[in-house]
Amino acid sequence: MLKIFKIVKREFLTKVFTRGFIISTILGPVLMIAIILAPAYFITLGSDKPVRIGILDYTATFGEPLRTTFQDTLNTGERKFQFSDIDIRDYTMQTVNYLSLVETGEFKGIVVIPENVYESDSVLFMAKTVSDLELVQRLRNGISSIVRQQRLKLENLDPVKIGQLTRGISIYTIKVYEGTETARGFGEEYLTAMIFLVILYMTILIYGSSIMRSVIEEKSSRIIEILLSSCNSFQLMMGKLLGVGAVGLVQYVIWVTMGMGVFVIVTNTMPAIAESITFSTTALLFFVIFFIIGFFTFSTLYAAVGAMCSDMQDAQSVSIPVTLLIVLPFLISFMVIRDPASEISQILSLLPFFTPLIMFLRVLLIHPPGIEIFLSILINLLTIVGIIWITAKIYRVGILMYGKRATLPEILRWIKYR
Amino acid sequence: MDYLDVERITKSFDSFMAVNQASFKVPEGTIYGLLGPNGAGKTTTMRMIMNIIIPDSGKIIFFGESFNESHKNRIGYLPEERGLYSKMKLLPHLQFFGELHGLTASASKKIATEWLERFDLIEWSDKKVQDLSKGMQQKVQFIGIILHQPDLLIIDEPFSGLDPINTKFLKDILLEFKAQGKAIVLSTHLMDQAEKLCEGICLINKGEVIIAEDLASIKKKYGRNSVRLEYQGDAGFIHKIPGVKELDNYGNYMEIRLQEQADTDQILKAVANSRLKISKFEVAESSLNDIFIDLVGR
Repeated sequence: MLKIFKIVKREFLTKVFTRGFIISTILGPVLMIAIILAPAYFITLGSDKPVRIGILDYTATFGEPLRTTFQDTLNTGERKFQFSDIDIRDYTMQTVNYLSLVETGEFKGIVVIPENVYESDSVLFMAKTVSDLELVQRLRNGISSIVRQQRLKLENLDPVKIGQLTRGISIYTIKVYEGTETARGFGEEYLTAMIFLVILYMTILIYGSSIMRSVIEEKSSRIIEILLSSCNSFQLMMGKLLGVGAVGLVQYVIWVTMGMGVFVIVTNTMPAIAESITFSTTALLFFVIFFIIGFFTFSTLYAAVGAMCSDMQDAQSVSIPVTLLIVLPFLISFMVIRDPASEISQILSLLPFFTPLIMFLRVLLIHPPGIEIFLSILINLLTIVGIIWITAKIYRVGILMYGKRATLPEILRWIKYR
Repeated sequence: MDYLDVERITKSFDSFMAVNQASFKVPEGTIYGLLGPNGAGKTTTMRMIMNIIIPDSGKIIFFGESFNESHKNRIGYLPEERGLYSKMKLLPHLQFFGELHGLTASASKKIATEWLERFDLIEWSDKKVQDLSKGMQQKVQFIGIILHQPDLLIIDEPFSGLDPINTKFLKDILLEFKAQGKAIVLSTHLMDQAEKLCEGICLINKGEVIIAEDLASIKKKYGRNSVRLEYQGDAGFIHKIPGVKELDNYGNYMEIRLQEQADTDQILKAVANSRLKISKFEVAESSLNDIFIDLVGR
């Protein structure tokens, strides 16, 4: 036991006092939030430039309504959408010129409104890139509403009156939990869950593969056998797992403390924003618990992979199945996030390898019953014991095998060795 | 007392018999050589002694007791495949080795410093292992396994890759340990080295122990007289001299193996009367190397 502690101490000290650890501890969450918020930021960034759109209007009635419908302004006060009417005769004569305006970016695109627009129900949008879904959507909605109003006028109905009569309703979401109601937007909750989930996923992946790398380093530096003269392979493996796990735990504790600090500061200075923060201290506790479970599940598997291989290249291909076992739950979590209460989500959250991400997500979103959480933790602890038992056998033989990659039958034999 | 007693250990890997029924004893205060060509089973035997590989059958007794984990604190093992954590600094690295063998952090540091001084590495204490030359790293590896003052040292190929100065240095330390009553088991394929250092010898070939006895009795039993000759000229006639069994001719040097009961004086006379220019004539027991080749070749 004492020897495990010595190995833990070495693993811990050599990993904690590194530039990599300090940087990732500080930058990790910042980067994570940035990754999630960056797309939104770039969308707003794009709106700083005016969008010029050519209008080829065969009905000659859309010019004015379009300008009144699209009234967005930029930060500079300028209008965002700038429509230029294109002369039909001019266009027919010099089509190529106009198309080249689109290609050079002078026009973001040209909207062609056919004469029979009220019957054909379609307009044409020519642009260099047609993947700007937001723009296409805006144009469709805008032109649709103009067409709709025009049709109403043609039927002698009052668009304003119709508008009032057919107005929709808004929906407010309220989360019911333990008899209290919390008004909360789906978006906020989703965002928080995503941030936590990505951090959990990334750290399990990073720490797991760092175990693999460190086993291979020990193998290729040929230090293993010297170490085995003073301890046994099980002590060596557990020492490594616990040591690196402790490093991860320290990082988590720092992050959680940082998070709490920010929470306290925000609550005191900007209570309005604090209301939109959707995590609780219990959530943070489970954040740590599920990291520990995920860490031991996957890093033990990665340790086995490291023991089977002699160099990083080999290890990278052998570790693919293990990596998939982490990636798959992560991908599935996007499904679970939409319906965390469904039966399939419930089953997945109890499955080994899936629990750390899926159960954590459910804890964040719907507060599943305590017995379910307890059961999932129990199942996973048993799984971890099993994985450690098998890995210890692979590890014992594998760490002394140099040169070639072990084949599956060989590994099965190793497990059976005395 | 026998510090190590290996009794009929056997290990096979699938169909390959790595070590078959190997037995030998290593008393305290001796240096014991495990000899054999590459692939003979020396490393597997050492790994079994260290409980790194579990024997299929047989027993290993340390200090009169069967193996338990605490024995590892009384044994120092330097395997053939050895290395260090290249990113660690020298002193903390050695300290780690010492602690792993049961020393306290402070004791380990103190002893490591003493040995670093003795090995002339003290000014490197703060450097990373990767900054050291290969020879220095070998010295560090050796220090790593003697910090805890083990009673039994097991070293696989101790002198491989060492320059002559360090070979002598290491040899002196091993002799010093022997004088302190420690037992040392070393494996080597260099027969002459073993011949000079070891009291006891275990010859292994293809997993089989061919002989395991003390050197003196091996020589008495298997050694035959031979003559070593340094000369210039045409030595073609020598194999015709009565009593000569075999020749190992190098051109300016030859080893003449004699038949049993052959008279070395006859040989000397024959050589002296020839037109050879003799610079050295020596009657010698056959070397361990000869004995080994004899035994393995049989």
